[in-house]
Amino acid sequence: MNKKNKKGALEFSFSWIFAMVVGAFILFMTIFAIIKLMDTFNQERGAETAKNIGALLNPLESGFESATKSIIKTQIETRIYPDCVVGGGSNDYFGKQTIRISEKTSSNKWGDIGITTSIQNKYIFSENYVEGKNFYIYSKSFDFPFKVGDLLYLTSNSSSYCFIDAPERIEDEIENSLNAPNILFEDCPQESIRVCFSTSANCDVIVKENQKSVRKNGETVYYEGDVLMYAAIFSSKEIYECQLLRLMKRAEQLSITYQKKSDFLYEEVGCLPEISTDLISLRQKERTLESSADLVSLVSSVDTIEIKNTNMECRLW
Amino acid sequence: MVNKLNKHNKRAQMKTSFSAKPKNRSATFSLSTKRAQMKTGFHQGQKLHGNFSLNAKRAQMKIQQISFLLIVVFLFFALLGIIFLSYYLKNVKDKANEIEEKNAHLLVSKIANSPEFSCGLAYGSSEKTDCVDGDKVMALKENIGKYSEFWGIKSIEILKIYPAGPNRECTNLTYPRCSSIKLIDSSSLGNSASNFVALCRKENYKGEIIDKCELAKLIIRYEEIN
Repeated sequence: MNKKNKKGALEFSFSWIFAMVVGAFILFMTIFAIIKLMDTFNQERGAETAKNIGALLNPLESGFESATKSIIKTQIETRIYPDCVVGGGSNDYFGKQTIRISEKTSSNKWGDIGITTSIQNKYIFSENYVEGKNFYIYSKSFDFPFKVGDLLYLTSNSSSYCFIDAPERIEDEIENSLNAPNILFEDCPQESIRVCFSTSANCDVIVKENQKSVRKNGETVYYEGDVLMYAAIFSSKEIYECQLLRLMKRAEQLSITYQKKSDFLYEEVGCLPEISTDLISLRQKERTLESSADLVSLVSSVDTIEIKNTNMECRLW
Repeated sequence: MVNKLNKHNKRAQMKTSFSAKPKNRSATFSLSTKRAQMKTGFHQGQKLHGNFSLNAKRAQMKIQQISFLLIVVFLFFALLGIIFLSYYLKNVKDKANEIEEKNAHLLVSKIANSPEFSCGLAYGSSEKTDCVDGDKVMALKENIGKYSEFWGIKSIEILKIYPAGPNRECTNLTYPRCSSIKLIDSSSLGNSASNFVALCRKENYKGEIIDKCELAKLIIRYEEIN
């Protein structure tokens, strides 16, 4: 009787061991698949948000207005990682603006960064990442001397800028044209980013208008015009320099287009090609620009072309 | 006793629905029993020998039953997974198409203001919105290669609507006596979005240079994900 029981127990336990081994394998595979699926869902959601942001940037292409503002609201705390690729190949001659998204998970940790979305016709100037729930995007047209593109300055409600001793024209523009809620001129909170225009004590960003330079995190970049000055204030040095190179590539191609238009108007309509040679010279300088420090070498050409175009019988732009 | 054992075997076979022939099974069964006897050196009578074989057989059956059940469960969940994944993929594709469509509609409403198309101040002292500089677009057409991926769309076409010109594509030879300017023409069909624009150009009219603007439609085609 005892022997019988023992045998039965052996048979039973072996079946159970077998079932448990195979069951554990299936369970492991299922858990593994679920974890992988969750990652995919997060990445997919990130990619979807990034694509949506890319699409929502289209209305910021300015017409006759000098500056525009747009607000992007997200349901949960989000980090936007804008980045810049200089490019130069046949498929990405103008470089790329990339956007990646990370969202806060239910455990209050930042989730994996989603798939990269690339856009070639946008230029976002920002820190390496911007986080928050409400994102303010300010847009201004960059004319050098013709319109090259719209620069987008990305900020969020979680960080505010305090402009100290800013010139009146800048204060006017930010308060009236941009109506920026996170750019302040007085009563600045303690944690705001301090942007100084004349004083240099206790400043995060120093703008030197006489040198046309912006110093931030111990690094200096150079600008020409207020549009690039804002870009330098709101962005990291890497992003600023990279976007500037991309803009110069577009400016170079636009110089070619305007030169061809000038030649065409001379042949077909009889307009004198007064700035055709100046455009060739500008194109050369735009092609050889390596960093913002070289911008100053373009200024005289840009000013000359601008004056000539304004006085031409057939304006090119 | 052997008869009893055979009856028992048959019952077990019916229970587990095995289709193997009883004769062969009996032979295999005897062989395995002999093997077991040799292995264990168990030669203590017919009854004990029969019980041992029966239990071994039962254990085998049980393992086979469990294996079969586990395979069925695994296949069931795998099937559920496949159904879920196909639904999920379709959902992703729908979302991607929706975003592409939204992007195209937003782009077409603003592309006329981009520097490659916009009139700027070339046609009057004030800037115009939704105004495309025809002369500039023709110059751009010659240099369009680098712009193939720039706007992320398949093709751009500007179709003159009023006054209707000769129904032919604009080239350096036919412009401005033509009706459509094709840029980034991928020559394959796709979904499209369009916007009405003013298509302006300079013209020499009796020795005087004048601005001439006509009504046109800017059409962009974008890719649909299948």
